[in-house]
Amino acid sequence: MLELEAISRSFRVGPAETQVLRGISLTLAAGEMASIMGGSGSGKTTLMNIIGLLDRPSEGAYRIRGEDVLAARPDALSGLRNRLIGFVFQSYLLLPRLNAWRNVALPLMYRGVAEGEARRRACEMLERVGLSHRTEHFPPQLSGGQRQRVAIARALVGEPAVLLADEPTGALDPTTSQEIMDLFLEMNAALGVLVLIITHDPGVAAQCRRRLVLEGGALAHDSARVPAPC
Amino acid sequence: MLKQVMLEAVGNLLASRQRSILALVGIMVGAGAVIAMLAVGGIARNETLRQFRQMGTDTLLLRAESANGLGTLPQAVLEELPRTLPEVRQIAPFILGGGNAGHEGQVRSGTFLGVTEQFAAVARLTLAEGRFLSRHDRFEPFVVLGAGMARELSTPYARVRVGSQIRVGRYVFTVIGVLAESLQSPMMPADANQALFFSLANARRVISSPQLSWAVARLAPEADADAAAERIRAALAPAMREQSVQVQSARALIAGMQGQMRLFTLLLGAVGSIALVLGGVGVMNIMLVSIQERRREIGLRLAIGARRRDISTLFLAEAATLSVLGGVLGIGLGVAGALAFARMSGWAFSLSPEAIPVGAGVSVAVGVFFGFYPAVMASRLDPIVALRTE
Ligand SMILES: Nc1ncnc2c1ncn2[C@@H]1O[C@H](COP(=O)(O)OP(=O)(O)OP(=O)(O)O)[C@@H](O)[C@H]1O
Ligand SMILES: [Mg+2]
Repeated sequence: MLELEAISRSFRVGPAETQVLRGISLTLAAGEMASIMGGSGSGKTTLMNIIGLLDRPSEGAYRIRGEDVLAARPDALSGLRNRLIGFVFQSYLLLPRLNAWRNVALPLMYRGVAEGEARRRACEMLERVGLSHRTEHFPPQLSGGQRQRVAIARALVGEPAVLLADEPTGALDPTTSQEIMDLFLEMNAALGVLVLIITHDPGVAAQCRRRLVLEGGALAHDSARVPAPC
Repeated sequence: MLKQVMLEAVGNLLASRQRSILALVGIMVGAGAVIAMLAVGGIARNETLRQFRQMGTDTLLLRAESANGLGTLPQAVLEELPRTLPEVRQIAPFILGGGNAGHEGQVRSGTFLGVTEQFAAVARLTLAEGRFLSRHDRFEPFVVLGAGMARELSTPYARVRVGSQIRVGRYVFTVIGVLAESLQSPMMPADANQALFFSLANARRVISSPQLSWAVARLAPEADADAAAERIRAALAPAMREQSVQVQSARALIAGMQGQMRLFTLLLGAVGSIALVLGGVGVMNIMLVSIQERRREIGLRLAIGARRRDISTLFLAEAATLSVLGGVLGIGLGVAGALAFARMSGWAFSLSPEAIPVGAGVSVAVGVFFGFYPAVMASRLDPIVALRTE
């Protein structure tokens, strides 16, 4: 599904060039459930941005379903993101002036789906994440856990192949955090969507079948390649 | 999609109300100024044209000039002109002076006009009561009063009317007519409303150093004013000796004033345009601030599949909403301003047909023009930079 080959990314800040990712090679299959851990500044978000087509690597190759996606132009990338990828962020990033269903429907609107149809699908997805009674609420009227559910519904409404979550439980208490994690597991099982979760929480990582660890911009551990220590 | 875009634009503008109102006021004042300026220009133009219509565009004013000031027109030659020149229909020479007039203890200073019986017709004066001076009362002690002068000489107990006695210097004149109120013609050297009309013989008595320096002429309907002026000058020349005669035509005056009016309107339009540009800069400013504040939102929209064009549309919709709304309010403001001007000046209110479309169109164009740069800037944001914004 996703093939990264010797991906490197360096940023230029003033005269100095810092290498954030160093030669990461990684293949993720459709329907996988994977976690990425690593210290702060190890390059997790940077890697996710590249996987999510928000950023381009300085070096290396990236193919989705065998297709080279690094050649695409910005608007084509927007289309690919819209159809293939769903994002969930630690800070939810809901639009405060749109109610829950309009937030969820946003990716469909950008796809040109008519409003009635978009609303129907958004409400359906809100029901799946357990918020059928909150479709008309505005983000400020929702709890943190509920907001993250809306964000997950938004990420999934377009039926993407990949769901990328950057510390999705980072701002939530342990109980809510577990509820959200259960939701990811359920969606992964029910929809067959590839889920990639960045987390600092070993408890969250442990629930993923595949676990990756970044250290200093390099892939230090991949549970699929090295047998986990007993 | 369009509905959602408009909905969001309005929502965002409402969310940052103070800033939106500031930009709105800028556009509104700009559009209002442009509209008011165009309308006021139109009102003033109509007013001058109306004055000329009152006076007649077929009018010529003659003035004799000598080396040391005003000269004297040859009355006999002048009065022959309607017969010798086919262009001239009527001509009325007059003496211009001034002094005090008294009635029942009221004393007012006014313009004294010594005229022939043609004057009322040539200058298009109408009478409110009585009659004008005639050929037969050249030597009678008669006077005709302008409307304003009659009003000012009236006392609560004795209104000036036909038969009233008016004292001028050592002489007493009997009022035989009072003129109806008239607009002052831009052509004439005096306002008929504030004048007292005497026969030429009587004027020579009441005016110190009287001189027959002026004449007003009406041309035949199809006559060319410039050619007629030339022929009149030529006809008078032999009798004028050292003196010369200045001929002013209403048409030339109108052309001059219209040029001035155009310049005036243009100037006012420029003032309005400056206000509009300031409004536009206001729009640009609030858009830039708004984009700065909403970088994460822009990043998110790009992440979930918005194309650059979707982002620029979002912000252009806000700019357009502001400028359309500002334009509509500006129309109200501009029309109100023009109405106030018309009321204060006492001129007839009219709305020049181009005022509203030009004002509204320009305001929308300005808003969109100034909204364009920020909108394009927003759409060019790098999604990861936008998302990383705190
Ligand atoms: N646009 C950028 N310009 C310069 N440096 C950057 C940029 N983006 C990331 N970096 C640097 O890359 C490094 C990795 O950043 P990244 O956000 O990927 O870390 P992370 O693993 O997600 O950390 P955290 O767990 O704290 O979120 C950091 O040192 C950061 O300063
Ligand atoms: Mg991070």
